[in-house]
Amino acid sequence: MTSIISSLEDAEAPAKRRDPLLIVLWIVLVSVALIWVAPFVFIVFTALKTNPEIMSTSAFAPPETMRFENFAGAWERGNFSTTFRNSFIITLIKVPLGLVISAMAAYALARIDLGRIGKFLLVFVLFGAMIPFQVMLAPIFTLVNGLGLINSYPGVILAYLAFGVPYQVFILHGFFRAVPKEISEAALIDGASHFTVFRRIFLPISLPVLAALLILDFVSTWNEFGMALVLLQDPKMWTLPLGLMSFQGQFSRDYAQLNSAIVMTVFPAILVYMIFQRYFVSGLTSGAVKG
Amino acid sequence: MTSPKLFSSPRTQAAMLMGPAILVYATFAIWPIIEVIFLSFQSWDGLSADRAWIGVENYRRIFTEDPVFWAAFRNTVIWTVMSVIFPPVLGLLLALGLNENLFGRVPLRAIYYLPVIVAPIAVATMWRWMYDPFFGLFNQILTSWGMTGLIQDWLGDRKVALYSMFVAYTWQHVGFSMVLFLAGLQNVDRSLVEAARIDGCNRWQGFVHVTLPALMTTITIVLVLSTISSLKAFDIVYGMTGGGPAQSTQMLALWAFTQSMQIFNFGRGSAISVILLLITLAVIIPYLRWSQRREEASR
Repeated sequence: MTSIISSLEDAEAPAKRRDPLLIVLWIVLVSVALIWVAPFVFIVFTALKTNPEIMSTSAFAPPETMRFENFAGAWERGNFSTTFRNSFIITLIKVPLGLVISAMAAYALARIDLGRIGKFLLVFVLFGAMIPFQVMLAPIFTLVNGLGLINSYPGVILAYLAFGVPYQVFILHGFFRAVPKEISEAALIDGASHFTVFRRIFLPISLPVLAALLILDFVSTWNEFGMALVLLQDPKMWTLPLGLMSFQGQFSRDYAQLNSAIVMTVFPAILVYMIFQRYFVSGLTSGAVKG
Repeated sequence: MTSPKLFSSPRTQAAMLMGPAILVYATFAIWPIIEVIFLSFQSWDGLSADRAWIGVENYRRIFTEDPVFWAAFRNTVIWTVMSVIFPPVLGLLLALGLNENLFGRVPLRAIYYLPVIVAPIAVATMWRWMYDPFFGLFNQILTSWGMTGLIQDWLGDRKVALYSMFVAYTWQHVGFSMVLFLAGLQNVDRSLVEAARIDGCNRWQGFVHVTLPALMTTITIVLVLSTISSLKAFDIVYGMTGGGPAQSTQMLALWAFTQSMQIFNFGRGSAISVILLLITLAVIIPYLRWSQRREEASR
């Protein structure tokens, strides 16, 4: 049956009849894509104009001269050196640390037989992947405040770690469980500990998945707003999203600089996404939609 | 490769491997869920030592004396219903289109996915500016097309504000559904589709009888994830309208936050959170049951 179909395909291929429906489809998809990028174009154009120019020219008129000084101005006014540094430090610590603890836990849950406790722990962890943490902002504040960690890196990092664990364990558990038993059994029989098996065998083979999760987690940590709003109340500790929010409140009439601030906030995540795009999609879909 | 005696039991090793993740997760994710339930039966300003147990008083007040709660509840329901319809349907259409062998489909997919990467608070800021009644994109376009009759105060008019905000939300979320559907479409057997065509099915029949059944799992997952992410809508409301004008865009997640963190009524804020939590569980528990059955069936 399949051979008939593939031979039919082969027979058709050289003719290359253009399906009119596909051409219409292509035009529609490109037009909608233009709408999808329009906001970005609009924001970048505005960021490069002067305020009088914004008010007198059309939104889609390119800037007469590129006013890069808007970016410097917004950087200065929006305290970007502080918020950028805070976002950078928090992301740099949280993301790798979160991956390591999630990978260790996922390995133990997938490869060490713990009977019913193991099953229970797995459900216990996965449950958290579904709960919207916005529901718990008040008790998280209470808890972190009780520990004296409000306005500190450890406070916000611990909270972020907790909410990264479920999704990452979910994905990595699925991956580790699919690894054939023979690969680890020989090492275990030779007397290697699970720590060794995890570090020497499972970590290396899971690098592509870890890379995907790293990118996903970078973006979501970089973009996080709600938890930071509650746990970081001192402007000196603010992250980029909090800085942008405050910028919008204070200088909302300075359209040029406001748009420069948006561009600077969004740019790092987009850059990371563009470089690692392949990993991104595989990370998002591995485990979530399997056949 | 011998390990010290202490670590020899698999259970000890498992505990050490799982310890850090379970500990931080239980403390900072699970404990707050339990705490929010306790708090919902108490009266507390969040800081002082005096926390009084007042039973269901918070709930009674919310249901009978808090008109904002009902506005938030209504908006959350409208929002969730729209969220399980529009972004998934658009995402499915895009995925079906971009699954065809078209010129430039890889960059097209990337473009549709791009807004997912943008911080929701930046989406709120971007769109607030585009909705600016005087200099924003939308009213400028309408003016240049001579459709001045359609000009709106997009976020300032309480009849349209919720829907204006939803357009921004859709722009951001369509790419997410699209990617999940694209992954799901890879599991659809191409040869079955071709066979259906040969047997005389037209495109629509092929879609309904072959593609759609094969996508059922993906559709369920997308719908559950869309529901959950719509209940999470917080950043975009906070950044775009703050719940206004006249509570017309107020939602449960934001109202819970406002009660606790701005009015310092932790009890009532927590009670609203518990209600939101119950709504979430009503979606999650059937889903988890379903996925467990599916897992067992596939074994």
